[in-house]
Amino acid sequence: MTQLFRNPLPEEDPTNDSVLPVPLSFERKWLDELESSLEKGGPWGNWRLSRLAIQGEKSGLVTSFDELQCMKHLSGLSPLPHQLDTAHKVLFQMSGRAILADEVGLGKTIEAGLVLKEYLVRGLVTRVLILVPASLVLQWVRELNTKFGISAVAQKKAYSWDNSIVVASMDTAKRDPHKEILLNHEYDMLIIDEAHKLKNKKSTNYLFVQQLRKKYCLLLTATPVQNDLGELFNLITLLKPGQLGNQGDFATNFVVDKRQPKNEVQLRGELSKVMIRNRRGEGPVNFTKRKVRNIPLTLSPEEKVLYDGVTAFVKDQYQEAGGNLSSMLSLVTLQREVCSSRDAVFITLVNLIKKLPADSPKRERMMELLQTLRTVKTNTKAEKTMELIRGMNEKVIVFTEYRATQEYLLQYFRDHGLQCVTYSGGMNRGKKDWMMDLFRGRAQVMIATEAGGEGINLQFCHHMINFDLPWNPMRVEQRIGRVHRLGQENDVVIYNLSTEGTIEEHILHLLHEKINMFEMVIGGLDVILERFEKKESLEKSLYKIMLEARSDEELRSGLDHIGESLSELTHGVRDESEAGA
Amino acid sequence: MTLTPQEVRKQVMDYLEATECSIIEVSPLHVTVKLSPRADRMLTDRPYYWGFVERTGTPPETLSFTFVFDPEKYDHLAAAAQAAPTSRQPRGAGDRTAAAGLPAGAGAAGMEAGADTGGTTTGGPLAGTAPPEGSADPQDSILARFFGFVPPLPRIGPGMIRREDVTYGSKRLGQIWSAAREEGKCLQLFEDPGSRQRMTLFSAAYEPWLAVCYKVEMSCDLKREELHFIGVSLTSGLIVPDFEAKLGSRELTPRLPENIHIEPSGLSLAAGADKLEGYLTSKLALLDYTWAEEARERLRLELSIVDIYYEELLKEQDEEKRLAILEQYNRRRKETAWQYEPQIAVSAVTYGLFHLRST
Repeated sequence: MTQLFRNPLPEEDPTNDSVLPVPLSFERKWLDELESSLEKGGPWGNWRLSRLAIQGEKSGLVTSFDELQCMKHLSGLSPLPHQLDTAHKVLFQMSGRAILADEVGLGKTIEAGLVLKEYLVRGLVTRVLILVPASLVLQWVRELNTKFGISAVAQKKAYSWDNSIVVASMDTAKRDPHKEILLNHEYDMLIIDEAHKLKNKKSTNYLFVQQLRKKYCLLLTATPVQNDLGELFNLITLLKPGQLGNQGDFATNFVVDKRQPKNEVQLRGELSKVMIRNRRGEGPVNFTKRKVRNIPLTLSPEEKVLYDGVTAFVKDQYQEAGGNLSSMLSLVTLQREVCSSRDAVFITLVNLIKKLPADSPKRERMMELLQTLRTVKTNTKAEKTMELIRGMNEKVIVFTEYRATQEYLLQYFRDHGLQCVTYSGGMNRGKKDWMMDLFRGRAQVMIATEAGGEGINLQFCHHMINFDLPWNPMRVEQRIGRVHRLGQENDVVIYNLSTEGTIEEHILHLLHEKINMFEMVIGGLDVILERFEKKESLEKSLYKIMLEARSDEELRSGLDHIGESLSELTHGVRDESEAGA
Repeated sequence: MTLTPQEVRKQVMDYLEATECSIIEVSPLHVTVKLSPRADRMLTDRPYYWGFVERTGTPPETLSFTFVFDPEKYDHLAAAAQAAPTSRQPRGAGDRTAAAGLPAGAGAAGMEAGADTGGTTTGGPLAGTAPPEGSADPQDSILARFFGFVPPLPRIGPGMIRREDVTYGSKRLGQIWSAAREEGKCLQLFEDPGSRQRMTLFSAAYEPWLAVCYKVEMSCDLKREELHFIGVSLTSGLIVPDFEAKLGSRELTPRLPENIHIEPSGLSLAAGADKLEGYLTSKLALLDYTWAEEARERLRLELSIVDIYYEELLKEQDEEKRLAILEQYNRRRKETAWQYEPQIAVSAVTYGLFHLRST
């Protein structure tokens, strides 16, 4: 109960001269106090309060080494079985050093909270440092305080570090002068959220965390292995150096090439000693359904002209550049933006023109495109979206990839009398929170850009519209994960807008038909992608096909090819998980 | 061990009564109380306010709370009371009259808590979430937006009573216990001889006991605890392992009773403490230490992993790099020992001199 004793980092090896097999220390400050009270004739404590204190100690006494205590201290919280299991494992099998790698939306924060609470209740932890992305600081502080009754404080000023439980952003913590302060402290527990940012062992983040003095340590990440087994090795080495042997051993024992493991069973065994990964399909976690509505749209004649114009331009440029993909990224963006809004295209075009030398022949062509742009007066997608929102008459989140589209939609919806707010990655955390509050309370619509995807929880809303689609399925999944997560009580309805006869239509086909990703509650998307992307990222493959296809026919067959291999992988993964279950 | 709402209630009521708080309203489910200055200092975390009161000599204004022990039942009754038209009374301190089953004040206090964004209602809306309507204190929510979470601010004035749910595990209960320890840890008590002793001719002999309630914390990467309330007679050196039982139902008083005398001590306090510690040590020696062996085994294993890992790295030729690795290695070894090394720490929860009638 009361923390009477904190076990600090030992300075020297403890010497053992007592009759016990374990070093024993008696704290004797009380004797001085008693003697001084006797000398001065007081003050004396109240007997009734004294008995009360003893009863308090009795009720909070940790009577067993191996039993979770925290639940009886938590009244408002009912964790799911897999979360309790995880907490149990971290404490009793992993001794407090673990990677929590549940898939998105399974409540890693809750698990970390349970572990932390348990150690606090046991009095094994008093000083805690929690490092998270800036946008999540306040959310962590809130959750720890309201759900777990843990007095965590957000780091605001240098003196905030003196609090016993501090939540701070990694970017602040690793910088001077904060870094210096933190390296001089020692922490009973260190928790790092979004720990996949620590995969590079040369990065300042990594070196900093390595230097921190910590007893227990939790690393939270939904994507422990994104591309590279070496990254996984680094993450584990940060937690427990040597667990997978040294770099050489690891390479010979487990790695074929950087994306492909060998001795998978053995590797999995080693991993399970330091990492816990719960998947959506497993266990009694019941997610509501995902319902997908694909909304096909036909471009207005003016929009179609613009689309064709941009497409032709992009392809010509690619030919000219001799098929060099890396210099083409802004053009690919242009191609994708034209499926979103003319505002987005406009900004990119203008930026491109600004960069060109004054006498470039491309200039004229681009100016022409700008002229075409002017003829477009309406946005078919925006109109349809408006109609959808009016029809459902409930809270809805609209996702777009582009800031310009976001701005446009905000204006458009406001003009039509909808209450809406925006949410984007560039906002500071205060503003983000404010926007979320507004959306929860007053506004009907939130328009979010991709960057805003990470770390917002919107269980109270169960409609989402993909105004345009990212080409990276993981990012689509992240979008859906904002709404479709634990705590969502309704079926989630996902609307995908796609304009007929454009690249978008193909992408949607790929994501929906081939990976079936919108309805995939089973998870395993990361595995599918991991396997697919052994050679090249999916996004890149798509870019190539799009740029290189000379005809619609070629485009279709190229995409079909990708689609086939993806769908094979999907079946494979599904069979595996069924066989495993 | 967890406590039922009734048990929690008993603990809180004990504290409030022992610290002479004035109870405004009480039911099996809740208590509305105006804190005594003493309790206010311990519970409301307002050192600046109390500093101000001390320096200026202004009469202190203590805070009032409604502590709810069984929030679910309480809310249920409050809702029922609100639904009944008879309990529709203007809010205010003067108008609090008892209504069927639950005092009317409960209804008002409950409503206030509902509109209170920073409230500690467990499971309620997150702090800083402005409700769609209602008279939420805007300052609360702006602060909460900045800090993520703000402990409820004190409210002063008639009718400004904050509701708080006090259940097992709540911060308030923990705070009450530690406040109790702060004010109750160092004791000097005398057995009440009863009124007859005053009339008798001979003074009664009292034996001084030194008694300590020890908390034993056995920790490695895990932890177990025990409490031992042990007493030693300072005249005879006799040890009483369960001193609580010895005290039994004796009435104790802080004042030296009339017509008694205290036998001279043979032991000094320090010698008494030595005896207590010696006794406790011998008792602890009888315990099973498998847990410590297991922890040491885990430690050995972890250290061997660390050793093997760094052995390779320490073959580094570049001296500067080697030193950096060596430092890292030592740090990791230290951390591991810190995490697993078994140890026992003993500290005192409460302690004091008990003068008990000799038998």
